[in-house]
Amino acid sequence: MSTSSSQVVLEGRGVGRLFGTGPLAVRALHPTDIQVRRGEVLVIMGPSGSGKTTLLSLLGLVLSPTEGEVMLDGRTVSGGSPDALALLRRERVGFVFQQFNLMPGLSALDNVALPLLLRGTSARERAARARVALARVGLSDREAAKPRLLSGGQQQRVAIARALVTDAPVILCDEPTASLDGVTGKAVLNTLKDLATDLGRAVVVVTHDDRVLAIADRLVEVVDGHVHERASPSAREVHG
Amino acid sequence: MRMLGLALKMLLDAPAKSMGTLVGVVVSVFLMSQQLSILLGILSLVSAFADGTDADIWVASAATENTDITDSLPATRVAEVASTPGVAWAAPVIQGMSRITRPDGVRELVKVVGVEPPRYAGLARTLVDGTQRESLRGPARVFLSWSARPAFAFPAPGERLEIDGKTAFVAGFFDKVDPHSSYTYVFANLDDARAYTQFPQDRITFVATGVSPGEDAVTVRQRLQARIPDALVVTRGELSAMEVRHFLRRTPVGMVFGMGTAVAAFIGSVIVAITLYSSVVDRLRDYGTLKALGATRKDLVRLLLAQAWLFFAVGAGVGLLAFFFVKAHAPQAPMLAPPWMLAGVMAVSLTSCTLASLAAVRRALAIDPAIVFRG
Repeated sequence: MSTSSSQVVLEGRGVGRLFGTGPLAVRALHPTDIQVRRGEVLVIMGPSGSGKTTLLSLLGLVLSPTEGEVMLDGRTVSGGSPDALALLRRERVGFVFQQFNLMPGLSALDNVALPLLLRGTSARERAARARVALARVGLSDREAAKPRLLSGGQQQRVAIARALVTDAPVILCDEPTASLDGVTGKAVLNTLKDLATDLGRAVVVVTHDDRVLAIADRLVEVVDGHVHERASPSAREVHG
Repeated sequence: MRMLGLALKMLLDAPAKSMGTLVGVVVSVFLMSQQLSILLGILSLVSAFADGTDADIWVASAATENTDITDSLPATRVAEVASTPGVAWAAPVIQGMSRITRPDGVRELVKVVGVEPPRYAGLARTLVDGTQRESLRGPARVFLSWSARPAFAFPAPGERLEIDGKTAFVAGFFDKVDPHSSYTYVFANLDDARAYTQFPQDRITFVATGVSPGEDAVTVRQRLQARIPDALVVTRGELSAMEVRHFLRRTPVGMVFGMGTAVAAFIGSVIVAITLYSSVVDRLRDYGTLKALGATRKDLVRLLLAQAWLFFAVGAGVGLLAFFFVKAHAPQAPMLAPPWMLAGVMAVSLTSCTLASLAAVRRALAIDPAIVFRG
């Protein structure tokens, strides 16, 4: 699963995960190598329980591998303390979740600005950058709205704005279109594709949704904890 | 500070729960202030005689526990005290229980304190309604407590009373010497007081003593004690502390109000702890999201402390306002609120809120950020 190393921003080397110990241990992901390049959309597909979310959690540094290592910008980062990993996520990784995970008490603008708040960015700069991010996803007119007043598609676009507001080079998306209808899902996918092509972000999308293949530059499949790269997104249709 | 805004918005997002917690802190601060202020008010009454009269040093019988439980001294002690270096003046004071007959015939219990002209040492420092010390000059003149006037049907100066069946005329009023007891003080001339209380002519209760300018009261007290070792010699402050100690030892009042204060602090703490903890449990996904987005342990601690301190700031402010409102509208209640007491209540409340956030902090820190990927 090799790619041009000069463009690799995120990499898993022999990375695997076992939950539990002894005879009760469950293998969620077999040791695998995976690389994510700047400016590409990498789609990870697979059946439920296959280990794709585990792979995303490992790459997103929210879960520590039991084997192998995760490298960010060529540096081994897995194995750091929880706070060190939190700081790396804050600076280098943006997340888009299936359930949006917006803070219900905050406006769209405040939700987008949240990663900047954690960074200690000044209030004025936070607001300015969050407005730019909201404009990028086409929600400038909804900045004061609380999440409950936004549609599912709007909430997901707020989440995308939150992921891109920090200029993190890696954006990890977990089923970003699962809660959205066809038209809204397509709009969200277009936004994610733009992040890769226009802004040069590395976008990783875990999904069951075949529509995502339309924006995929590369496709990997996870089956029973084993990761397989397909030659091209269309190859999945042959495999599947 | 950067977490304060986020903390506030999270609290406002759950208004019912936040309001319930706020009420808990308000009640806690109000109760702590009210209980302590009443205790201090009662203690100030207990030591009112020592605090409200004008002697620097008191000489009493060695068999003295407080100003109520004391014996008498030979009257010759006055001369011994007066001739001691550092003593500016010394004067006899007697006290004894008697009864004033009210207009309705009820015989009200009084403690008659006899003081000697021309200095009237041992007299209440605060005289009111135009009363002068010299108003006691002349036979059968007495000063009554200003706050006890209702018990005597608001007698006017010059009005005749009966003490122990003997005539007394109201010569004026004093204030701030009201005991925490069923009797009230009456000040009278030494000779009249002897008559009202049938106190022996050759005995006295106290020697009220003034210290010469530039002399230290404690040094003079030590000198006096060395000279008259069979008597009790105490400064005004020591006598005041003696009264308070005896009262706290002999009555459950300190325990009752102390427990009331502790329970109030505990209740406030528990309410904040339960609310913060349950809010974290209710918002596991939110805190998980914060962790996934890069919140460190310190960030989460700050966020939860900010919430606890917001509860403290608003709750304590409203609680104190409620306390001062009640204090202003209940002048009959003995409530004292010195700055140190208010500062103490604030410190205890702040500490309670801070400690109360610990369980929530612990729960938040234990959240797995991978929770954000669970559907």
